[in-house]
Amino acid sequence: MSKKKTIDTGSEGKGQMDISVDANTEELEERALSVFNSERNEDLTALVLCLATTFIVLLFTKWLV
Amino acid sequence: MTRTQENMPVFIMSGILLIYGFIAKSGVLLPMMKYLSTHKTMDLQVTMCLLLAGIGLAGAIINSFKEKGTSIFDRFFLQPLGGIIFLLVLAMFIRWYAEPMVKIWSKALAPTLGFAIYKVLNLNYVVLGLLVGVVVTNTIGIPKFAGPGVKCARFVLKMGVIMLGARYSFAELAKLGVYSVWLIGIFVLGTVFLVLWLGKIFKQPKTMTGVLSAGMGVCGVSATVAVAPVVKAKSEEMAYTIGTILSFGIICMFVFPTIGKMAGMNPVQFGAWAGTGILNSAQVAAAALAFDAVDIKTLKVAEIFNITRVLFLPIIVLVLATWFGKESGQKLTFKTVVIDKFPIFILGFLLLFGMSSAGLFSPPQHYKGKFIDVSYNDRTQVTDDEWITLDSALKEGKITGLSETQMAAVNDLHKQRQIAGNFDERDNKAVFDKTGRARMTQLEGILAADKAKQIKLDGDVKGVIKHAVKQVHKKSKTVTTLTDCMIWFFAFGLIGLGMQITKKAIFQAGSWPLIIGGISGIVKATLSFFVVLWLVKDVVLN
Repeated sequence: MSKKKTIDTGSEGKGQMDISVDANTEELEERALSVFNSERNEDLTALVLCLATTFIVLLFTKWLV
Repeated sequence: MTRTQENMPVFIMSGILLIYGFIAKSGVLLPMMKYLSTHKTMDLQVTMCLLLAGIGLAGAIINSFKEKGTSIFDRFFLQPLGGIIFLLVLAMFIRWYAEPMVKIWSKALAPTLGFAIYKVLNLNYVVLGLLVGVVVTNTIGIPKFAGPGVKCARFVLKMGVIMLGARYSFAELAKLGVYSVWLIGIFVLGTVFLVLWLGKIFKQPKTMTGVLSAGMGVCGVSATVAVAPVVKAKSEEMAYTIGTILSFGIICMFVFPTIGKMAGMNPVQFGAWAGTGILNSAQVAAAALAFDAVDIKTLKVAEIFNITRVLFLPIIVLVLATWFGKESGQKLTFKTVVIDKFPIFILGFLLLFGMSSAGLFSPPQHYKGKFIDVSYNDRTQVTDDEWITLDSALKEGKITGLSETQMAAVNDLHKQRQIAGNFDERDNKAVFDKTGRARMTQLEGILAADKAKQIKLDGDVKGVIKHAVKQVHKKSKTVTTLTDCMIWFFAFGLIGLGMQITKKAIFQAGSWPLIIGGISGIVKATLSFFVVLWLVKDVVLN
């Protein structure tokens, strides 16, 4: 069984949790500041939402007027 | 019951938005909105408030009865809803009340102080948003209900960067000669490497140096946000970079016009220098206008140099991704840098830039949605009364002191009733447009000469020329709306970003980023001053 260490996860994470000593804590800290599991998901969602916004804006300011 | 109590803040905020929406709709707030100059956003205020109130109430009701889950709907809508509404309410307050109030107060204080505080400190929604976020988190703290919502801030900032692409077009870049693009590119890359080198000498964290180099090299907020994920920069490092850039810009706004005048720079040289040396777009415009409020060439050149820097963003992202990977001891291949490390949202920026350049939002030659249309069009003509005014002024010989080309432009305006090319050349669009634009430039020159009191123009004739020039300046509604979306995304994101910055983090960063930023900024400004004086003579625009 791999060694564990305890980290503070703050009020959102309800206190503390055990993680592997080899875990990339920087990456965990980074992800703790986002609602997404990975950078890739975050970027893809932002891109899709922006394209949807652009389409709606084009529809109401150019194509339907 | 407990669940309803948990959702009480969302119910209260939604209720307030609903009441505000209905009050705004009734028109009671119109006098105050007019005082704040926000009356044009009245419909938007009503729509946003009612829509948000509806979504908030629906979400709070569902949250009150539904067990907490881990589905996508729970994670991305129900849980962050309270925080999203909280940040949006703050963004609305900043954009519709705080920013206009700051402008009014600083205008009122300007005669006493001798300058407008909001212009000097650049107190727009960017700075106010960050400040509000920092104040909230360091005083009352992030409310518990808003925690998950605040985590959406970076994601929304990325949406802002993607939207930024819609404002620019390749045609603007093509206006600059290859030689000017090289000049800008060398300064952008040079500054990035200088900051990275200084960071190494002063032993600063790679994350801080990386994000600061992009901010100092390219420009302010957008570059900082774009590069932060690549170099894994923390929120406080992003905020520190934005703060450094804006502080440096404040000094530049005063120093640049004074030095430019002392060195006897011409409008084009000063525009090129300000556009290269000053980082923030608003501060570039302020310095250009302070140097020469009459000749719009200064502002135009400065703005074009400034936006060309923004278009170097993807290249800088690639450079920093490679640097950060190497510094972290990773083996990098072309594939890892270009495909794995290159942020997808920067591709989004490029995609929107491509769509904008292809003319999907506005004619391809647009600049921030503005374009010149000298084609034959009834709506571009001057009115009948205006034509009679011009006709009698020409017959009575009231228009004097103009150059031959300026007079020819006025005569053509009289003949065609609008600014346009020659009728015989209407089938050749390029030639027709070129002639029309040249006539517009001549008419703008007449107005500038009158403003500078070089000639004395009759008030009515001035009005006709002004109207004719205004008629050919068009603005794309699509780009304006997309820019509005971008501003909202940035406002939301920056408040959230501010909320992730604690006092402890600010003190930990110390004053090194400011020192590194200051050194690199001064080096860049000094070098670009000599290069511009040496290389840029007069015409830089094709």
